[in-house]
Amino acid sequence: MSETSYAVLGIFDTPNALMAAIPKARAANLGTVEAYTPYPIHGIDEALGLRKSPLGGMVLVMGIIGALTAFGFQYWISAVDYPIITGGKPAGSWEAFIPIMFEVTVLFATFTAGLGMLLLLNKLPFFGHPILTSKAIAGITRDRYVLALEAEDEGFDSAAATQALLAAGAVEVEVLPAPDRSPFLTSAFILRTLGGIFVACLVAGVAIYSLTKWFPLLKPMVYMQDQPRLNPQKASTFFKDGHGMQKPVPGTVARGYLPTAVGSQDASATLVNPLPRTPDVFAVGKKVYTTRCEVCHGAIGNGSGSLTSAYGAKAGNLQSQQFRDYPDGKIYWAIVHGKNAMPSHAPYLTERERWAVVHYVRALQRAQNAKDEDLKVAP
Amino acid sequence: MSPNKNTSPLIWGATALGALGVAGTYAAAGPERFWANWILWFVLMFTLGLGALFIVALEHLVSARWSVPIRRLPERLSTLLLPAIPVGLIALGAIPVLYPGARPEAAHHPILAGKAFWLGLPFFSVRTLIAFALCLLGLAVLVRGSMKQDSTRDPAFNIRARKFAPAFMAIFALVITLIAFDWISGLTPEWYSDIFGVYVFAGAFLSALAATTLSVLYLQNQNRLEGVKGDHLYNLGAFLFGFTVFWSYIGFAQYMLMWYANLPDEVIYYKVRLAGAWRAITISLAFLHFILPFFALVTRDSKKDPKRMRRVAFLMLGAHVLDMYWLIFPVLGPKPYFSWPELSFALFFIGGILLWVRGAMQKGEDMPVGDPFLREGLEFRL
Repeated sequence: MSETSYAVLGIFDTPNALMAAIPKARAANLGTVEAYTPYPIHGIDEALGLRKSPLGGMVLVMGIIGALTAFGFQYWISAVDYPIITGGKPAGSWEAFIPIMFEVTVLFATFTAGLGMLLLLNKLPFFGHPILTSKAIAGITRDRYVLALEAEDEGFDSAAATQALLAAGAVEVEVLPAPDRSPFLTSAFILRTLGGIFVACLVAGVAIYSLTKWFPLLKPMVYMQDQPRLNPQKASTFFKDGHGMQKPVPGTVARGYLPTAVGSQDASATLVNPLPRTPDVFAVGKKVYTTRCEVCHGAIGNGSGSLTSAYGAKAGNLQSQQFRDYPDGKIYWAIVHGKNAMPSHAPYLTERERWAVVHYVRALQRAQNAKDEDLKVAP
Repeated sequence: MSPNKNTSPLIWGATALGALGVAGTYAAAGPERFWANWILWFVLMFTLGLGALFIVALEHLVSARWSVPIRRLPERLSTLLLPAIPVGLIALGAIPVLYPGARPEAAHHPILAGKAFWLGLPFFSVRTLIAFALCLLGLAVLVRGSMKQDSTRDPAFNIRARKFAPAFMAIFALVITLIAFDWISGLTPEWYSDIFGVYVFAGAFLSALAATTLSVLYLQNQNRLEGVKGDHLYNLGAFLFGFTVFWSYIGFAQYMLMWYANLPDEVIYYKVRLAGAWRAITISLAFLHFILPFFALVTRDSKKDPKRMRRVAFLMLGAHVLDMYWLIFPVLGPKPYFSWPELSFALFFIGGILLWVRGAMQKGEDMPVGDPFLREGLEFRL
């Protein structure tokens, strides 16, 4: 035998004859047994001993990976890298991720199913299956049933295969020569194709960029900017007073800025500092004191800050007996409402910062009036 | 499920014991808890029967052939509508007790007062009676006609059923929506969800599919369904698989829109169900009704495996009970009730349903032998 053939085709008249021949052909053990029929025949998969397709498992795994990818990506964007509160929801709200997770799951799964079936399992692109060049193909698409013994290696014995198929009951046998391999999918062709796609993308990108730059009328996707929404600091015909920005409803309280010191300063005397005296709290208090209070009240709270020497400001001496006898609540009230020339500090200090600075003022007072037991070294 | 053992005394005993508990519930645990349980089991029986009738009508609507050999089983299951109707008539007693729209306080409530006509007892009862009458019509045409065909062998029935099926789909949509909106959503009349009827439909269809699957396996165990193969079982499994996903899709879509919009009158429904012990029930519902059956049925072979299918079908029936419990019981308060009254109701109604279904399984032939498409259905291959 000079040339290895691709396969030997045994042609049968009925599906039952084909089914009966399959075990005999498989027993001959001469090559891969493959069947070509005009329509699917029930039970032929089992008879040919085809293994179960691994595609389902691949799709499941890729689907799960897709779901996890979408979740991880969204979580990272919205809760780790750049947390933005949207619609009052917590930053890592999984509920909002589900639709995207679903889409990406489907995307990964369908790509795996489609590409896996075509490229991985069916080994496409494979232009012109050798069976299409056989004489039997006309019958296969109409009313003939073909069993093929396909060559697995160079040692394929087509004479023995012909004998085996005839013995199994084939009415006719055709030897299919090895196909002359198409030079279509050479590496040069693949490189040329990919290069062509790349150049096309480059040209399209540059063209769009230049067009939108030189002809602003063609600017795409500006619909989000052009919507008739209300802009801050702009006029609006929607509200009666003509302002786009509206004042909050009377009584509106910002998050974390609950007013606790209402009424007179004496009425606030009973307020209790809710914060514990921990290093964290003192650190906050020190930071607030140095940025907000120190310029007037001085670094140790004696009412002599840098503004005193520069402009003669006379801030309250927090070390005086009057302020050392003040309850916490009255200091807090002064921070919130201001006192004499001191303005209110409520707009930019959170509840926690206000009380932390009260603790810090107490620490300053104690530092200037230390008692003997304060000298004990903390364990 | 062992066919040789005579389980009748056991079931009768459990039902009788349950009946005692049911009577005791009214006296000891109060009418509200009694009616909540009663509505739960009325809805379960009714959705199971109606879902089975939907399966029958669906086959006629699309001229399905594969399901002809097992059609008699959903037909028999759909006769559960007959005992569900008296149960539903008794349940009308719950309306002035549990349904805020029909209670005297509603007159002082601006929203409920405006809907007094729709939510009030008279029109509520009329709607329920109309729903029952429409169900009886469906049973008469589809099920009684099919039973008659066993002896007459008259193919005219198939043509009649095919013509009736589209009309029945409209009837079905109306009835399941009425049941969902009136009997379940009516417990919280200030809360709306347009998709709610579809949500209840998904549960009803799933429970009927699960019951059909169990009936197929039960009769196959007794060698009464000659010719019904793994291929038929596979299709039932594929339906179960698909509709668990459908159920969770509808359930999640409803939740997510309300969660996003965060409107007080809408989110209150989920606020109640995501607080305290209800939170655990909500999470386990998602697990039992979706995640577990999804992965149990995801492979191709699992849908042909009778053992796996039986377990999943039991799971789906249980999950449907939990689903309806989750919809109805928060009306009683923030604490989920589960104690002897709930167990007694379960014993009484499950026992009753089993007795009825077992009786129904003896009615007529096991397959629609008069149907001209039976042979084609038996030859069905995937």
